[in-house]
Amino acid sequence: MSVLYIQSAYEAPPKPVRAASEDGRLAVVRQEDLTLEALGSATGLITHNQLDQNAFLTLKPHLEDFMDRGGRWFFNGHIVRPLLEGLGLYLPMEKPAFADFRQTRLAAHPIFEGIEIAHLETNKGVAGFYGRGANPMPDGAVAVTELRRGTVPVDWVWPRPKGGRFFSHAGNDLGQFGIEQGLPPLLHSRIIDWAAGGACL
Amino acid sequence: MRIVAPSSGTYYHIESLEAPRYAEVFDVVTTPEELGAVLTPDDCLFVPCRTPAQRMIAQKELVAGHLAAGGTVVATGESRSDLWLPGIAFTSVPTNWWWWLDPEADLGNRISAPGHPLVRDMDKAHITWHLHGWFALPGGATVLAEDAEGRAIFYEDRVTTPGQMIITSLDPMFHHGSHFMPAATLFLDRFLPNLKAYLNG
Repeated sequence: MSVLYIQSAYEAPPKPVRAASEDGRLAVVRQEDLTLEALGSATGLITHNQLDQNAFLTLKPHLEDFMDRGGRWFFNGHIVRPLLEGLGLYLPMEKPAFADFRQTRLAAHPIFEGIEIAHLETNKGVAGFYGRGANPMPDGAVAVTELRRGTVPVDWVWPRPKGGRFFSHAGNDLGQFGIEQGLPPLLHSRIIDWAAGGACL
Repeated sequence: MRIVAPSSGTYYHIESLEAPRYAEVFDVVTTPEELGAVLTPDDCLFVPCRTPAQRMIAQKELVAGHLAAGGTVVATGESRSDLWLPGIAFTSVPTNWWWWLDPEADLGNRISAPGHPLVRDMDKAHITWHLHGWFALPGGATVLAEDAEGRAIFYEDRVTTPGQMIITSLDPMFHHGSHFMPAATLFLDRFLPNLKAYLNG
């Protein structure tokens, strides 16, 4: 097991990620320091909103290999470059209203087990942080969470036919939600477990 | 004058710099690391908001040389310009993203120099989404916009170096590129043409 948290931001990773690094559950790697050797031996990847997708696109064959080997990739944010064959580019909701940010859980997933959906929909009563659109689902992907009355797949899992699983969360980093309920450590821990090969759909 | 923008490959940089809405504004979109091969003293270096700061810190000497040669730098918010530009005194403030839930609320940002060509036809609606911090200005700098306490959040500095710096703590490209705050798009709709006219005027 070797999970890499790709740190693209200047700021240090969130506290639960740093704690996981200290516990040996993952390794934090600055994106500019990511080597093909490290990617070649990784089994899990977690990328966040500030990922340099231009730089990652240059690694596409190696990312395909990573997935082919059964890799798990938890992707936070909008896909704007075709980082893997089969992925489409982010589509925002047109003119979203408050009600469009209500979430519908379409499939049970261990990352969300026991978490009330309402706790992820808003921060201090403000909606829209969780997601405002969707990365298009590849063939065979399974929608987990949808917006706009169940029509916009903000979260999905793609059991890739050639191997590996890709989790798309098309919004601000998933680990930061449910602040008022103290959820970030739990969410981060579950994302790390998933990236390490834990239970999925 | 060319506007040269270093993209960090984040989804919001790619959306803001490359999508049709503003693509024509930017004459060259490159990377922070490639600036040395691209930037000339006649160019305006436009650093988009929420650029991971380490990418620009590594270009600090190059940016200093650009200003020393009389060049122009525009630096937008949340990119720690205080770490890679001379003479920046920045104080961050905790972000209150729910301020507008009170119908009576007013974030308090306002245009300070309504006659200045960089803020032509702009009012508080163009600069009101979040407040991330303020600047202490060197004598002789021009405040373009300020917060509720009268502290500078947008200014022009022609005194610190032989060049000119246009600095703000506003982060319009992150929000525009996230399809989030309409005010951030309003800001770019006005400021970018104003900047282009100002540079070529």
